[in-house]
Amino acid sequence: MSRYRYLLKKIGWSSFTILFVLLLNFFLFRVLPGDPARAGIHDPRLKKDAIEALRVRFGLDKPVINCFETLNPIKVGDCGVNPLDTQFFIYLRNLTQGELGFSFHTNRPVFEVLVGRLWNTILLIGAGQILSILIGVAFGMFAAWKARTSIDYAALITGLVAWSLPTFWLGIILLFWGSNHGFPIGGRATPGMSSQPFLSQAGDIARHMILPTLTYTIVYMGEYLLVMRSSLMDVLAEDYILTAKAKGLSTFQILKDHALKNAMLPIVTIIAINLGFTVAGAIQIEAVYSWPGLGGAIFEAVNRRDFPVLQGAFLLIAVSVVIANLIADLTYSYLDPRVQEQ
Amino acid sequence: MKTRYTHIVLLTVLALAISACGGAGQSTPAVLRAGWAGSPDTVNPGTAVLSESYTIFALVYDTIYEYQLDGTYKLDVAESVEVSDDSLTWTFKIRDGINFHDGQPMTAKDVAFSVNLYKNNGDYIYLNAYTVNFDTVEATDDNTVVITLLNAVPNMDYLLSYLYVVPEHIWKDYAAAPASVEFENVEMIGTGPFKMLEYNQNEFVRLGANKEHFGNPPKIDEVIFQTFESDDVLVQSLRSGAVDMITEMPATAVETLQGDATIQVVTGAPFAPAVSDIIFNQVDPENCPTDVGGLCTGHPALRDRNVRLALAHATDKQKLIDIVLLGFGSPGLTLIPDGLGHWYNNTLKDYEFNVAKANQILDGAGYLDSDGDGVREMPDGSQPLNFRMHWPSDSIDAPRQAELLTEMWGEVGVTLELQAIDPDALTAECCPAFDFDIILWGWGSDPDPNLLLSVYATSEIPNGYNETGYSNSAYDELYVQQGVELNLEKRREIVWQMQQIAFDDVVYIIPFYEQSIQAYRVDKFTGWITDKPKVEISDVSSLVVIEPVK
Repeated sequence: MSRYRYLLKKIGWSSFTILFVLLLNFFLFRVLPGDPARAGIHDPRLKKDAIEALRVRFGLDKPVINCFETLNPIKVGDCGVNPLDTQFFIYLRNLTQGELGFSFHTNRPVFEVLVGRLWNTILLIGAGQILSILIGVAFGMFAAWKARTSIDYAALITGLVAWSLPTFWLGIILLFWGSNHGFPIGGRATPGMSSQPFLSQAGDIARHMILPTLTYTIVYMGEYLLVMRSSLMDVLAEDYILTAKAKGLSTFQILKDHALKNAMLPIVTIIAINLGFTVAGAIQIEAVYSWPGLGGAIFEAVNRRDFPVLQGAFLLIAVSVVIANLIADLTYSYLDPRVQEQ
Repeated sequence: MKTRYTHIVLLTVLALAISACGGAGQSTPAVLRAGWAGSPDTVNPGTAVLSESYTIFALVYDTIYEYQLDGTYKLDVAESVEVSDDSLTWTFKIRDGINFHDGQPMTAKDVAFSVNLYKNNGDYIYLNAYTVNFDTVEATDDNTVVITLLNAVPNMDYLLSYLYVVPEHIWKDYAAAPASVEFENVEMIGTGPFKMLEYNQNEFVRLGANKEHFGNPPKIDEVIFQTFESDDVLVQSLRSGAVDMITEMPATAVETLQGDATIQVVTGAPFAPAVSDIIFNQVDPENCPTDVGGLCTGHPALRDRNVRLALAHATDKQKLIDIVLLGFGSPGLTLIPDGLGHWYNNTLKDYEFNVAKANQILDGAGYLDSDGDGVREMPDGSQPLNFRMHWPSDSIDAPRQAELLTEMWGEVGVTLELQAIDPDALTAECCPAFDFDIILWGWGSDPDPNLLLSVYATSEIPNGYNETGYSNSAYDELYVQQGVELNLEKRREIVWQMQQIAFDDVVYIIPFYEQSIQAYRVDKFTGWITDKPKVEISDVSSLVVIEPVK
């Protein structure tokens, strides 16, 4: 019963957070200075009528919300307008119908724009996360087990250096190295591969993923290694480990049955946080390797004041962060039953 | 175990051998891989903004007139033209036997339909502007298009050089808004020398040769434009051979690439000339467009020609070019750049860089440093000559330029408050708000001078395109005249005179006209056209003549 209530409470809070983000998203972008209808276009060929037509097309000719025509600059408007005829209501109505709208910039449906990019991001960051978790956790465990030996110090230094490397710098160094060794250095696939059989397409994408994934793995591997090492070292210093040793258990048994489960808690937290933000993309890695991911899409959309894309992307990020945290909470309660009682 | 490995190795060798044989049997298609740092925003010509889109349009579509690298126009889908005596009726004879990429024949009807498409869609971002003077556009038969004008214009060839011919049988369903702006046009059926094969936004555009093209059948089979997000990666891709040419690169990489025997760097005036400008807010309070949000908070000193003249004398343009552009630019005079060929008034003599003279001018005009703090004050002592200087935050050159100007103008007792501003916010404070003192910005020019000449016109103040607020009735009169003068030589004289006026009034300081820097691999394709007044190796003229190095 208590676990069930705990679950309900967590889901309730998560839904509330997502709702709040939905509302905030709308206002967040409308307080940015500038006019999406003119975004970046400074050209005498763009006539007033055309700008007006763009505004109508984007729905920006309507008041933002009752009493406010625009939010930047703040222009007070009629409070008596039909609320159904405000940008805010139209935004809410579209959301309830599952419609994210059309990109101002490319005229394409936001959903289509984001899904393509999201898939690319998940592919890249997913591979990088899995590799860095496996390698980082394994090395972290090994270092903790061999604490205060030269192996431990080597692992510690490697972890510290890797984690503190600026991502874009490491990316550029690997890019220069890779380009001289025949690795693809830009994009997701070789143009013109779409007519090839699936396996060669997949192989091509995998080749393009090597350098960006390597960059990502090196940096995050450092983080996991350091956290795993210190967490496990704490646990290994506990009295019950000493007891286990005294009982004559093997090293493997001690690690597996007594130490690891307790040492995993901090790692679960970081994994959840990192996975949540996976969706936002690793914008620096995407930029260095011209990887068409979500981070780049958000960057472009901010520059062009592409409200629909921004709203959609932020919603996606919020939802994934909330869900990742929810999963972390639930995993916690499984790993450490005391959590749900608090 | 050992035998199993041997089997695998044998199988692999066999597979490789078979695939190698297969490769030798077919002739490999000649695929040019071009790298660029952008991507088309859309391939609907009506709604496209970015120059990458227009590069693709020029390759996939034909037009009535084509603009060439030597700055002249030639007939494209039209084979001849007749103009009535009053210059109001233009009759074009359209070539026979042109087919769209989907195999359907192209006739005069498609041409007239296309021009009408741009004319009838007022919310087409750029292309509608070229048709405002067109009264009627009709196809009288399959080979004849008649365009009648509201007023005679001197630059019909220019106006028609961007109106891409699209197929009526596809676009008739998208002829009116909102379909006309929502249509993605990803198949991009045209008649041009290249046809669209595959378009992955932000990744690549893949074009195949249209070997049946009437004028320019390409010698290569395919061209791929691949997007790289940074200039440095572009350069590295060219060096490693991942791409065969790049359309842009940082000046800092030129030296490295010049040392590489397999790479040829080309520089020169860009296809669309680029002008950098220092914008002075000099709007007269009487002209302040308050009804469209004009705030007009500019520093009063900048309305005085003496101050602007002194700043011009205090500006070392060569130093700016050498440091900001590493030499790849030429000193600027007015908004009409040297890349516009005969429209550029090359008789203007620039204000010499002379700090003493600048100081003298300011002293003479009464701007003295009365409190001895090193900064001059207004003649009435009311406020110091301390100007806000803003630039778009996405500009790579502007921060360096702003620092150098702070140094140079500090020599004449002028101080600057520097700030980079989001481009969109900059547009909002610029014009018609006039809520700034000085902005570092720039323009990309059309082939015809009309567009940039309009930026000085009083009528453009409320529209927000006259960014200085400059107003001169003599100039305005000439602007109208050049728009209706049909004699090319007379029009040129007027355009030169206008540049003289704008230059004498020191409306702007134009620090430089930036050059285009491009590069290609000499071991892959040969035949690039680089000896024209303008440099653009992704122009159709190069892409249809290059062939693989044998």
